[in-house]
Amino acid sequence: MGISLIIICAYVGAKLLRRISFPAVTAYLLIGILIGPHLLNLIPLKIMNASDFVSNLVLGIIAFTLGANFTVSGLKAGGKSVLWISVLEAAFAWIIVTAVMIAYFQMIHMPIHPALVLGAAASATAPAATVMVMREYRASGPVTDMLLRVVAIDDAWCLIFSALAITTANAMRLGVFNIEVLFEAFYEIFAALLLGGVLGLGFYLLSRFIMTVEEVLVIVIGSIMLAVGLAMKLNLSPLLTNITFGLVVANIVKNNDLFFEKLRNVDIVFFLGFFVLVGANLEINILPRIGIMGVLYMVFRVAGKFIGVRLGSMIAKSGKNISKYLAWGLVPQAGVALGVALSAKAIYPKYGEIIFTTITATTVIYELVGPILAKYGLKKAGEI
Amino acid sequence: MNSLLSAGLILLLGFIGARLLKMVRLPSVTAFLIVGILIGPQLLNLVTVEIFTASEFFSNLVLGLIAFSLGENFRIDKLRQGMRQVMWVSLSAALLAWLLVSVALIVYFISIKMPIYPAIVLGAAASATAPAATVLVIREYRASGVLTELLLKVVAIDDAWCLIFAAMAIAVGNAMRADVFQISIVFAGLGEIFGALLLGGVLGYLSSRLSKFVRTREELLVYTLGLLFLDVGLSIALEVSVLLSAMMMGLVMVNIARENYKFFEVLRSVDTPLFLVFFIISGAHLDFAVLYKMGLAGILYVVFRTIGKVYGAKLGAKISNAPKSAEHWLGLSLAPQAGVALGVGLVAKVTFPDFGDYIFTIIAATSVIFELIGPLLTKYSLMKAGEILPSE
Repeated sequence: MGISLIIICAYVGAKLLRRISFPAVTAYLLIGILIGPHLLNLIPLKIMNASDFVSNLVLGIIAFTLGANFTVSGLKAGGKSVLWISVLEAAFAWIIVTAVMIAYFQMIHMPIHPALVLGAAASATAPAATVMVMREYRASGPVTDMLLRVVAIDDAWCLIFSALAITTANAMRLGVFNIEVLFEAFYEIFAALLLGGVLGLGFYLLSRFIMTVEEVLVIVIGSIMLAVGLAMKLNLSPLLTNITFGLVVANIVKNNDLFFEKLRNVDIVFFLGFFVLVGANLEINILPRIGIMGVLYMVFRVAGKFIGVRLGSMIAKSGKNISKYLAWGLVPQAGVALGVALSAKAIYPKYGEIIFTTITATTVIYELVGPILAKYGLKKAGEI
Repeated sequence: MNSLLSAGLILLLGFIGARLLKMVRLPSVTAFLIVGILIGPQLLNLVTVEIFTASEFFSNLVLGLIAFSLGENFRIDKLRQGMRQVMWVSLSAALLAWLLVSVALIVYFISIKMPIYPAIVLGAAASATAPAATVLVIREYRASGVLTELLLKVVAIDDAWCLIFAAMAIAVGNAMRADVFQISIVFAGLGEIFGALLLGGVLGYLSSRLSKFVRTREELLVYTLGLLFLDVGLSIALEVSVLLSAMMMGLVMVNIARENYKFFEVLRSVDTPLFLVFFIISGAHLDFAVLYKMGLAGILYVVFRTIGKVYGAKLGAKISNAPKSAEHWLGLSLAPQAGVALGVGLVAKVTFPDFGDYIFTIIAATSVIFELIGPLLTKYSLMKAGEILPSE
């Protein structure tokens, strides 16, 4: 019953909001908030409990399809720009948010080290919402292509930055510099790449036994689940693992279009469920506590992304459209940033709580506004 | 072990298992069940508790999906002359299975000085056929022909007979045990059937009318799955038969508008992973311990249910002048037994404190046997009837 409610409400909601040209993602999220535990409370507990499963699966699917954008031939042309833009937009979001937060914390006489962690969390972009917007409006063009790659790899930067930030913050707090945290982050990234690569090879071997079209779906979804599940078990980043996995598949498996296409045929159902559940899980009651800190974070994160993209595309000479409009698609924030906040909370209880609240509250706003901004940017770039 | 890892393993091992067992010509359904047994709690234990907890939800969905697709076979314009055959064959196969199993068990129960009413209930459970396994075998081997068509309709309908028989049997059983004949149980059984038909009919009509708002293929999938969830969810909430209401919904939709075939088609393109998981989890659920407990009664049940189906189908086919291949082979292909029979077992467990558990054990044990052998028999009979190409 609960699921049919989710699907039907989301479907009707998306149809209605389409009238005022809202992206479907926003509609799903609003429906989720509406029928979620904070308002109407129509979603059975059993389904809420399955949120983790669904969201990890969907992130895996999205990461897998993102990986497909990194074909060797495609990268030769644009690889440089991707690296520059992604590293700079992530770094600037980090630096600017951190700088502003430090200033603010000094003002209110708080230790400044939480600012570092907040800044690092700001560097990540949530790929799901942006990808959905592109698909819904069938966006295509250089900005779209670049955006797909940038959102895929900036999570890796975020992991590095947050490891740096947490180590430094710890050093400032306790006077010990734990270099291991940094190594752990590098390990996490490389192990994820390795795991994704191995799974890609395994997939290559398995795919030769596929006989019917129906089996394609079984194998693809099964492998993605396996990849996410293994990554979680080994404490690696499921996103990076699946991006690498998709990348390897796109580059070595013949007829790999078929796999990605089959997945595209069905993933809408998962996405819909995913965004409604994300909406239902959004902590809207935390919004009033967003405070000056949250507002600052929100404004300067976006500012950092814009500046970083400008600079990056200037260095790599990627063209006017990218420099102007790409950053609009980088607003959404979700899982990765929340992950950073969670580990901050675990490491230092006192200020971790503040960090966590800020990130959760801003996530609510970013998630709702992000798809609309992404659509605006792509439209301005003439790709919708 | 987290649930995603477990789910991934289920899908991939299912695929590999089916590939391997194909070499020895076993149907995929059987392969899935065997993989399920292997990774189930009794052996490798690779299925997490969360997945087990979700399995009831999941199996209801899959049964709904199968029943919905069975409804597609009832196109009124094609049905005129065929309906008589379907009715006769399904009724006489179900009835004879009930009669033979009941009589055999009554004799046995009298000989061991047990009350005889459990025999009547067990017989009623024997009348149902599990549609899922049958449908999957037909699909896997791309069977087609008169027998296949008749079979698809018979498995769709005989669950209705089983529900009626079971309601009667439980009412009679109650009367024999407690000397009160509760006619209300029979009415409840009929209510379950008509309620389901009504629900499915209404939903089918509404959804067909509303389908003009569906534009893209992606939306179609969302819409169809949403409907199916709604139908299954409402059936459970209203305590009517999930199978019958989903079948009725499919039946109504296929008859209202020609272009409604797209609903069935879009489901077919995605349902393979669902079936695979469904059967693997069914396999993981199979409880072999009950096999030791079933005793002679279980053996009698298996033998006489099979005989009843075979000769019942034969009789029905003769009366209604069905094609010869149906007369010879249809009964055997009705062997699979699962959910509906177990449902009867569950009701019995609640209704009869003294012998309810015994009834349930026998049904559970024979379901294990029929689940494993049923698909093989279905495949064998379709092959014998010449409706599966030898190359497959």
